[in-house]
Parts: sequence; structure tokens; C-alpha cells
Amino acid sequence: MKTLRVFAALPVLLLLAFSCSPCGAAAQSESPAQAALTWSHDIAPVLYKNCATCHHPGGAGPFSLMAYEDARRWAPQILKATQSRFMPPWLPEPGYGDFADVRRLSDPDIALIKRWVTTGMPQGDPKAAPSQSNYDATWQLGKPDLVLKVHQPFTLPGGGTDVFRNLILPYPLTQTHYIRAMEIRPGAPQVVHHANVIIDRTASLRHQHPTDWEGGVAGMELVVDAGNHFDPDRHFLFWKPDTPALVEPEGMPWRLDPGNDLVLNIHLKPSGKPETIDAQVGLYFTPDPPSKQPILLALERDDQLDIPAGDSSFVVEDSLTLPTDVEVLGAYPHAHYLGHDMQGWAVLPNGETKWLVWIKNWDIDRQSVYRYKEPLLLPKGTVLRMKYTYDNSAANPHNPHNPPVRVRAGNRSEDEMGHLWLQVLPVNTPPNVSDPRLLIEEAWMRRRLEKTPTDQVSLYNLAAALAGQGKFTEAAAVYQQELKLNPGDARTLTAMGAALDGAGLWQQAQDRYRAAIQAAPTGRAGGCDARFDLANLELRHDDFKAAETEFRAQLAACPEDAEARSGLGEALQGAGRADDAEREFRRALELDPGDFTALLNLGSIASDAGQPEPAIKFLEAASSARPTAPEAHEKLAAAYAQQGRLNDALAQLRIAAGLAPTDAKLHSSLSQVLDALGQSEEAFAEQKQALQLDPNDADGWNNLGALLARGRQTDAARAAFEHALKIQPDHAQARANLARLSTPK
Amino acid sequence: MSRFFIALSLLLTPTIHAFAGAPLDFGLDLRGNPIHDLGGPGIHFVVLIFAATDCPISNRYVPEIARLNKEFSSQGVRFWWVFPNSSDNAEVVAQHNKDFAIHENSLLDISQATTHRANATITPEAAIFTADMREVYHGRIDDRYLDIGRERPQASRHDLELAISAALAGKPVPQPGGPSIGCSIVFLQK
Repeated sequence: MKTLRVFAALPVLLLLAFSCSPCGAAAQSESPAQAALTWSHDIAPVLYKNCATCHHPGGAGPFSLMAYEDARRWAPQILKATQSRFMPPWLPEPGYGDFADVRRLSDPDIALIKRWVTTGMPQGDPKAAPSQSNYDATWQLGKPDLVLKVHQPFTLPGGGTDVFRNLILPYPLTQTHYIRAMEIRPGAPQVVHHANVIIDRTASLRHQHPTDWEGGVAGMELVVDAGNHFDPDRHFLFWKPDTPALVEPEGMPWRLDPGNDLVLNIHLKPSGKPETIDAQVGLYFTPDPPSKQPILLALERDDQLDIPAGDSSFVVEDSLTLPTDVEVLGAYPHAHYLGHDMQGWAVLPNGETKWLVWIKNWDIDRQSVYRYKEPLLLPKGTVLRMKYTYDNSAANPHNPHNPPVRVRAGNRSEDEMGHLWLQVLPVNTPPNVSDPRLLIEEAWMRRRLEKTPTDQVSLYNLAAALAGQGKFTEAAAVYQQELKLNPGDARTLTAMGAALDGAGLWQQAQDRYRAAIQAAPTGRAGGCDARFDLANLELRHDDFKAAETEFRAQLAACPEDAEARSGLGEALQGAGRADDAEREFRRALELDPGDFTALLNLGSIASDAGQPEPAIKFLEAASSARPTAPEAHEKLAAAYAQQGRLNDALAQLRIAAGLAPTDAKLHSSLSQVLDALGQSEEAFAEQKQALQLDPNDADGWNNLGALLARGRQTDAARAAFEHALKIQPDHAQARANLARLSTPK
Repeated sequence: MSRFFIALSLLLTPTIHAFAGAPLDFGLDLRGNPIHDLGGPGIHFVVLIFAATDCPISNRYVPEIARLNKEFSSQGVRFWWVFPNSSDNAEVVAQHNKDFAIHENSLLDISQATTHRANATITPEAAIFTADMREVYHGRIDDRYLDIGRERPQASRHDLELAISAALAGKPVPQPGGPSIGCSIVFLQK
């Protein structure tokens, strides 16, 4: 026997192994129950499958478990850690949520390890051992398309408590990219427990720490400014040592725009010596925008977290009713050191209960995102529920306070939190709902406001969700409510201006924008958004002079704003200054090669000038920059048609009509292209549809007449031309066509 | 199990562990020289920290031992890192000491005699001996680790520090409040 501990325990353990032999692992073994287990045959397969992803040389585990000598050296610890289920780290209870990539060791495997350790740890025939996976130091998915590195490595002290650090990695490109996979190489894997990657759309954390962001920012929890637009492109970007590469599901890449930052929110455990965290993030692009758009939502009860010192069973609960059908893709339960029992479940409208997750012995060190093996379908009306229990007694070894003190919600690790984040994908969306994520956001924010009626973030987000659904009057009322709490807030004034503009109250909108410009702090980007919106409003009301003034004022404050540059171009174009306009569009593209307005307008200019080649180049870029903009496809179709590429034109028009099915003009254009391609019947049908949408289109009636005349339906053709002339008596072509119809051939 | 040994060592301490005056080797220093005396002039107590260079919990205590050394070295207390595992040879330990900036003395317990004398079975584990090599404390450094995988954010009871302070004050030495947690020492086959 190698150690005194095992020697002393031997009689007891042998007895256990003996009595256990007919069950568990031994029963599964090919050999008789009494046959000796060996590392090669029995143990290496278990360790390689369940442990070696971290426990390999250079891996995140503190020691390697690749060789027989390793297993023998660490056998007492392996035995202990598997018996207690400390390792492999896996918190959810089996049977309460069906997760992918479950790391919980099976009971037979645990029994197998125990038997091997207590029967002398024989090696067996080394040749019988399975081959080892290759853990090398290169990127797992091959060379990334882009590697982001921290500007300044962070040095973790050798001792002290755990450290929570936010490392900021600015996205350096000037084009939007979709990310299909990400790999994080933290630099010192053995001290990095886990990391959350947060997309900071507005680089807000960096701007809050203008002079010292490069060394990272302390803090466990993070609130970043999502910007002014509803942008629910939200993913769990959670990294833990055994999954260095995060590959997104098919159709669900995430997006990085110019000006975004990635924030690496990492949990570090001191190792005894100073460690250098020289993190790198490898990004893998895909040209395809997402075809499925999930959203994150959270059940949470931070408002009720006020845990008395010594209370070993403090409970908070929350619920949220789903406003639409969803598939739940993943769950991320989160608390700090006092969290103990964490339950999440769903009650369906038919009364059925589906478990989301249950953790009976929470441990912040082993937290994780859990992805469901199959998406969990929850119909509209399902109530999501959470119940978290906290232990603030001295008996909780994780308690950061000794003796315990009263603890409330907060961002520091010694504060507490109670969140159950869920990633959901809306499904079965009714045709009248343009973006079901807005319904979810609205329901979520309304629920938050029930709990904390004066929460400004919730008010702002609720108003934005309402505005996104076109409920502008309601949105304006919610903004007004927020302004009562936070009078003179430039951003809310700006957003309220946009809501009022949407509600058709454009003069009131102008007032709000002007108030926002007044209220905005001077300096960086102060008032830029309000000026931009005001200028755009003026542009839409053909007040080109005022728009030009506002865009120029905005560019003085924010000279790098490509959208303001292209807006100025539009104002100049409206004022008839075509050359000046074109120059501004080109300058906008220098700032952002993907600026939609600039691309669209430069494409139009080229197309109007009879230069389809450059027009096509610009318009193809415009339609890929904003694939949902029908006007880009429409103009691109026109440019293709100029080159005689009628089938390409037809394809673009069909996309445009799919995006804007009630746009009569598009159906009319479709009719003309179909006619030119000799598809008269379809051409006729499209023209009919166009006239159903816009019966007062004289050109449309004339075109319909021409199609009918060519089909020798003379009477119907005559009626159509006459209808055109009734609408527009001076319609020369209709008159000429009618005359031709009357002239015998 | 550890508790069993703690009890044993307490029971046997007065008789077995009195080595005063015996000509003994305690192990080798990193240059391969035998160490005959762990104390020396002016040393009242010797503190041994049993460690393994590849044991993560043992390594995490390096800053704590540096702190205690700083606190007590001027009061006649001498700290030793004792490496009982045969894989921790002079070269490995020298590199380790460099990596972890360890300034305390290091002892390679190649025969594991010192380890047996202290009744150490785990790394990290501490022992306090009087100048005449009577063991007055054996056990954990503090209560940060309650078990493998059960860890406090920071220690709430600094057992070793309390024991050294009491020993220096001539008071009864408080014994550890719980078992040592860490990596088993790899004992030599006999």
C-alpha cells in the first residue's frame, strides 16, 4: 500500500467493494465480478472522457491525468472528488432539465474508480489503453478570422480572495461581421475559472474608464449601455475551461458592429504566484446573417434580496408570463456566495409543469450555462417561475462574511444576486407580429416594473419595445413617465422625440429634440443623437436647409459619424446640390464602408447617370448591408434591368415585394419585368395586384391596358385606358394607346 | 482519517517525539547538503510546511506562509518548506521556489523521516516543533478549505498563526479546528 491513509482504511473499503460487486460497474464489466480492474482497460477510458479535457499538460486542470502514473499519483484526490461529485463539475440535478453536454459522472463510473483505487490501482497492459486525444496549444477550430488581444496584460496577485475582472477588447474592424464561433485563450488557464463575454455595443465601459480601461476594470457584475435602439441580439457567450471554443447553433451567429467592444468578464482564482492574464479571443466569421434570432430574458428578484445575518433559508421567487410561443435553448442560473438551492420551472397553460433547472447545492466556482439537449417548447401563456434559497449562516462555508452580516443585492462579490437567465427563440409567430422579441421584451419590462415601478432602465426599455411595435403614443407616455423621474435626460428626450415623430406629432418631436440638444452634456457625442434625429425629421419634411445645419452641427461634435455624413449628403441632394451630396456620400463610406444610406444613394446616382456597373456594385453592397430594406433591392433590380439582366432584376424585385408586400409600385415593376421576359400571364397578375393596392395609379391602368391589348382583349383594354384617363385626363400615353386601339389595323 | 492521526500524534507526542540531542539528519537542502539542525541560535520554534510542487492547494498557501514568516521570523521562529514526495527533487523545487518567489528554507525529505516524525500525510500541512524537536502542533494552516471542493472565500480561523502565537507566549497550544485538506503525500514503498 502506498499511503498510510489507504492502508488504514483498507479493510472497510474492501468490504464495500466486495458487497458492491454484483451491482454497478462490476456488473457491466465483461470479465467476472472478481476480475481485477486495470487502468488501461477500465480507468483510462473514464478519465479520458470525463477529466482529460481540463486535466492535460497545459490545460485548465491543476494536474494532468493522461498517464497511468498521473492517475496513481492523484488517486486519493480522484476518489474523493468523484465520491463527493465535486468533479467533474456539474451542478444540475438529473431529471430536472434535459441538458446537452452533461458532465455528471455516472454512478457505475464512480463505483469503478472507487474499486480500482481500493484494489491497488493496477496498470494492466499499457497497449490496451485507449489512444489519447491531442491537446495542443493551437486554436481548436483552426486559424481565426480575427484575433483580439488585451491591450495590457492583467497580473493576478498570488494570494488573496478570488478576483473578478473585466478585460476590454475593442472590435477594430470598420465592417459588421457575423460570428459563428469564438475561442478564448485566457493566457493562464489554470487560474481562469470561467468567463462571460459581453458585447458592449456602445463601448460604454471603456468610456466610463477613459484613462485606465486597458488594464481592465474590477467588478463581478456589469451593466453596459445597450445603445438607443432595441437590439436584442443576445447570446450566452459563456466560457469555461473545458469548452474553449463556443460554436453557435446553425443560423444563430452573433453580430459585431464597428465601435463595439467585447468585455471579458473573468473569474480568477489566485494560484499562489502572480499570473499573467494575457487573454486572446479568436473570432470565426460567417457571411450569413442570422436566420433565427434568440433573445435573453431573466427572472430575478434582486429587489427582495435583503438577507438577515444568520438566516440559513432565505427565499425569493419570481415569475414571468410568456406573451408568445418560445423554444428555450439554454439557462444560466446565477447567484453569488450565499445562493444554495436554485429552482426554475415552467407551468404551461394546460397546468403541466416542465422543469428548467434545479441546483441543490450551488457553488459559484462551478457555475455554467446549460444548453438543452432539445429546445424546450413553451406555449404563449406559460408562466416561468424561479425560487432561490440563500444561506447567510456561518455554516455556509462560502459565506464571505464571518460572522455573517446582512446582505443585499449588488455587484460586488460579497453582495448577492438572484438571476435565472434564459435564452429563448420565439416560434409560431403570428403574421401580424413583425418581431416577437419585442413582445417578450415588453412583457419582461412590465414585470420588472411591477417589482420596481421606478426602475428607469425598465421604463426606457419598455418604451423602446413599444415604439418598436409601432405603439408610438403608448411609448411616448412611458418616456414621459421616465422623464418625471429623470427630468432633462437627453437620451430619453431624444427617444421621446422619435416616439412623438412616429405618432405623427412631428412639431412636438422637434421640441423634444431641441430640448435634448440643450440638455445634452457638452463634449464627446453630447447631443449627437438628438441632432441626428432632428436633422432627419427636417429632411423628411423637406426642410433641407435646416437639416443641413443640424447635420453639420452634429458632425462638428461627432466627426466620425458616417450616418451623419450620409444624412448631410441627403440634405444636400434634396437642396439640388448633387455634386456636394455625392462628395458627402463618399466621405461617409470612408468612415464606414457599410453605410447604407451612402451606398444606396451612390448606387442611385450611378444608375440615374446610366452607369449600371458602379450602380450594381454600390447597390449590392447596400442590400447586403441592410438585407431587409426593400428600396435597396428595388434599385438594384433597376440597375440589373439597365444591363439587361432581367432574371436578376426579377429576383431582386421578388425579394423587395416579399419585404414590402403592400407596395403597389413593386408589383407594377414586377409586371413590367415579367412582361419583358415573355411571362404575360404572371405580368398581368402582378399588375392586377398593383392596382388592387393602389387603384388610383394612372400608369398602372395604362400598363394593364397594354397587357390586355396585347392579349387581344380589346374591350377590357379600352376600359383600362379610359380608367387611366379618368384618373389623369392628360395621360398622353393612355390617350395614344386608346387611339391606337380604335384604329383598325 | 486525518483526525485519527491527529489523535495519535497528540497521544504519542510526549514520548515518541522527544529527539533532543539525537544526531539526526532531517533531509537535504537544495544543494544536496544534509540538514542536521532545523533551528539554530536564537530559534525557539521550528515551523514545517509540508508541500508538493504539483499540489494546487499547497501552492495557494505560498503567500500565506510568506505572511506568517514575515510576522514571526523576528521572534525566533524558523519556517521550512518540506517536500516529502520523491518527484520533488532539488531541480524541481528550485524552479518552483523561483516561480513562486519562495524565500523560506526548503528541505527535501528524501527518506520521509521528518514527514513521519511530524505525522504529516497531506500537503499542505503544518507542524510546529520546539527547539528540542518536540512537536507541539500538527495540522492545517487555516480553515479556508473544508474539503476538496469546499472552500471559503477567505480563512476565518488561522489555526497555525494562533498556534505559533500561543507557543511564543508560553500558553497551551490550540490544536487544529479541522482536518488538513489537500493532496496526499506519496509515501515510499517499504
